[in-house]
Amino acid sequence: MAPVLIWLILFLCLLISILKYTFALILKWSVAGATVKKDYSYQPTVSVLMPCFNEGKTVYETIESISRSNYPNEKFEVIAQDDCSVDDSYEWMLKAQRDFSNIQVRVGRNAVNSGKARTVCNALQHSSAELMISIDSDCIFHPEAIRELAACFSEPKIGSVGGRVGVRNPNENAITAIQTFIYYAAFQVYKVPENWTRSVGCISGCLFAIRRELLLEIEPKIRSRHWFGIPVNQGEDRFLTHQTLLRGYGTYINNDALCWTTVPSTLPELFKQQLRWKRSIIRDLFYTLRTLPQHVWTLHPNTVLTLVLTPLGALLGLLVALTMLSGNPMALAGPAPLIAYLGIGAVLSWVIRKYSAREAVNHPLAFGAYLAWSLVSSLFITTLALCTLDSRDWGTRTKEKEKEQEASEGDAGRQESLC
Amino acid sequence: MPDDKKVSASAKVFLIQPMLYKSVVTVYRIFAIVTLYAVLIGVLAYGFVMGFYALNTSWAAPVILSPADDKSLDFTQKLVTSRQTLEDLNVDMKRLQEGVAEMNKHRTALLALEPELQTAITREKKHNQATGPQLLELDKQKQADNLKTQAVMAQVREVEATINKDLAAGLITKGDAATQRAALNQAQSTYTDSKIGEILLTDSILEKTTTDTKTLDVLDKQAELISEVAQLDIAIGVAQKQIYEETKQITMLKQALATAKSTPYYLSVNGGNVVYFAFVPYDNQSSVSIGTAVYDCYLNMVACKKVGTVKQSFAGEEHAIHPIFRTDIRGFLIQMQLDRAESAKSKTVFLNRKPLFF
Repeated sequence: MAPVLIWLILFLCLLISILKYTFALILKWSVAGATVKKDYSYQPTVSVLMPCFNEGKTVYETIESISRSNYPNEKFEVIAQDDCSVDDSYEWMLKAQRDFSNIQVRVGRNAVNSGKARTVCNALQHSSAELMISIDSDCIFHPEAIRELAACFSEPKIGSVGGRVGVRNPNENAITAIQTFIYYAAFQVYKVPENWTRSVGCISGCLFAIRRELLLEIEPKIRSRHWFGIPVNQGEDRFLTHQTLLRGYGTYINNDALCWTTVPSTLPELFKQQLRWKRSIIRDLFYTLRTLPQHVWTLHPNTVLTLVLTPLGALLGLLVALTMLSGNPMALAGPAPLIAYLGIGAVLSWVIRKYSAREAVNHPLAFGAYLAWSLVSSLFITTLALCTLDSRDWGTRTKEKEKEQEASEGDAGRQESLC
Repeated sequence: MPDDKKVSASAKVFLIQPMLYKSVVTVYRIFAIVTLYAVLIGVLAYGFVMGFYALNTSWAAPVILSPADDKSLDFTQKLVTSRQTLEDLNVDMKRLQEGVAEMNKHRTALLALEPELQTAITREKKHNQATGPQLLELDKQKQADNLKTQAVMAQVREVEATINKDLAAGLITKGDAATQRAALNQAQSTYTDSKIGEILLTDSILEKTTTDTKTLDVLDKQAELISEVAQLDIAIGVAQKQIYEETKQITMLKQALATAKSTPYYLSVNGGNVVYFAFVPYDNQSSVSIGTAVYDCYLNMVACKKVGTVKQSFAGEEHAIHPIFRTDIRGFLIQMQLDRAESAKSKTVFLNRKPLFF
C-alpha cells in the first residue's frame, strides 16, 4: 500500500510539474497578464541591504556593480552589514565605501555572528527607504536591476519582487554547466505560472525586493524564527516570500532584473549549498503543513500546490530512490534516463545560447551528469537535511575560525554596530 | 493576586519551554545520529553487496518448481501432446504395415494369375489356328451341299403341285396327300437347318481366324491385371515411405520424450518426492559439478554452512531475474540434494565453497 501511495504522490507531483511547465510556456508566449505592468516612472527610495560573510574581495565588486545602477543616486543607498567575517570582507566593504562616493554606502558589522536572516534585519535598522532590496554579497548586478524591481511595485498588491539570477561561471566545469541549465529553466519557465497568479513560492535571496512596511512587519518573525529553540538562520528568502503571500500580498519574479552569481564549482561546495536549500525546503514544508488550513483559505490554489507538492516531491524522491535501488538497482543504468537528460540539456542549451548568450554552455552534454547528481541529491542530501534541521551555519561560506566562534557564542542577532 | 498567578504561570512556561525544546532537540539529535550512521552503514553494505555479487562466481538461486507453475503446466501439456502424438503414430504405423502386407498378398495373387491367363490365351490361339482352316474347308463343302439341296427343293414344289392335282382328281386320298406334304415340309425344314448351319459355321470361322471381341475382353482383363499390380506397387511404395517417415518421427518423439524425462520440470511433475532445484548463471558454470557441496549463508553471504550437494545438472537454457541486480540473466538449472529443506527458500546458495571463507 505504502509504495503505491508514494508512487501516486510522486506521479501527482510530476503531473503537476509537467502541466506547470507546459502551462508556463503557453503563458509566456501568449498571455499578456502573465507579466506585471511595469511603471518606470515609479521611483521610490531604495535601500540595498547587503549581508556579508566571508566573501573577500567579491563584496567590493558587488558594491561596484550596484554603484553603476541606472537609478537616481539620491534615491538609493547600500547598507552593507558584515556578519563577523573571518576574512578581509569588512576591509573590502570599507574600501568600497571610500571608492564609490557617487552613492551612499553604509557599512555595518554585527557584534557576533548571527546568520544571514538576522544580518538583513540588522541592516534594516539603518534604513528609512520605501523599498528594501536584499542582495547576496557575491553577486554582480545589472545596471537596470533596481529600476526594474522598483517598476513592478506600481501594482499596489505586489509585496515582494525578485530578479533573475544568472550564472557567471557557466563553463567552469560540468557542475557549473548543470546549474546554469537549472537556474535558467527555473526562472524562465518554472516560475512563470506562479508569476501569472502573483504567487511565486520562493524569490531568490540573491535579488529580493520588498516593501519596507512589509519587511518591518515580518522582521520580528525572522528574528524569532527557531527550531525547538535553535535559531534558524537559513532560508530567509523562502521564509520572506512565504510570509509575504500569507499577508495577502503578491510575489513576482521580474526576469528583466538581472544579477549574476558565481555558482559552486566543486562537489563539496555544491553539496553544502544544496543541503542548505533542502533544509530550507523541508522546514518550509513542515511550516506549510502545520498551517495548511490558513494556506488553503488565504492563498491561490496554484500557490498551495507549489508550496506543498514541490517540497513533498523532493522528500518523496528519497523514498523513490530507495525503492528503485532495493527493487531494481540497474534501472538507472539503462539508456532511457540518460537520453532524456541529454535531450533536455540540448534543448535548454539551444534556448540559452539564443536568448542569453552570456550564459551559453559550451558542453551541453554535461547535463547528462545531472542524472547521477539527482540520485545523490535524493538519497543523501534529503536524508542529511532531515537529520540536520538543527544546523545554523552559512553552508558554503563557513570557515574554521567562524565555526569555533559559533560554537562559543549563542544567538546574539540583535547586537550589531554600524560603521 | 490574579496578576501573581499569571506571572507565576508565564514563569513556568518560560522555564518549561526551554527544557522541553532541549529534550526534543536531544532526542532529535540522537535519532539523527542513529539515522545517519544507519544510512552510512546501509550505503556501505549496499555497495558491498553490489560489489560482492558483481564479482562472485559461485552463487546459485534456489528455485521451487511446482506442478502448478506456468512452465510446469506448459511442460505437462506438451508432454501429454507428445505422448498422444506418439500413440497416434504407432497406431497409424500398425495400420500402414498391415495395409502393405495385405497389398503385397494381393499383388502376389495377381502376379500368380497373370501367367495362367497368358497360357490360356496362347493355348486358345494355337487351337484356333488349327481348327480355323478346317472349318473353312467344311464351310465350302457345306455351301456346295446346300446348292445341291436348293436345286432339289425346286423339284419339291413341282411334286407338291402334282399332289394337289392328284387330290383334286381323286387319284389320292386326303390322307395320302397330307403324308406326302409332310414329307415335303420335312425336306424344306432340313434345307433351312442346313442353311443356318452354314451361317453358324461362318461365325465360328470368323472367331477362329480373326481377333474377336471375346479375345479383346480377355486382353482387357490382362491389362487390368497388370495395371492393378502397378497401382499396388505405387500404393505399397507410398505406404512404405510413410512408414519410413513415421518411424523417423517416432524415433524423434521418443528421443524428445527421453530428453523431457531428464528435465527438471518432468522431475517436478512426476518426481513424487520433493525435488530441489537452483538456477545457475552461465558466469558461474565453472562452480558446478555433480557432488559439489552446496552452502547456505546468513544474509546471503556470511556464516555459511553446507546444506547439501549438486545431484545433477540440466542442459536446457533458462532465463531468470538476477536476485540482486534485478536484470535478466541466462543460465541453467541444477538439481540439489538438500539436507536442510529451508535452504530451498534462500535467496541464494553457494556452490563448491563458502564465498567469504566463513
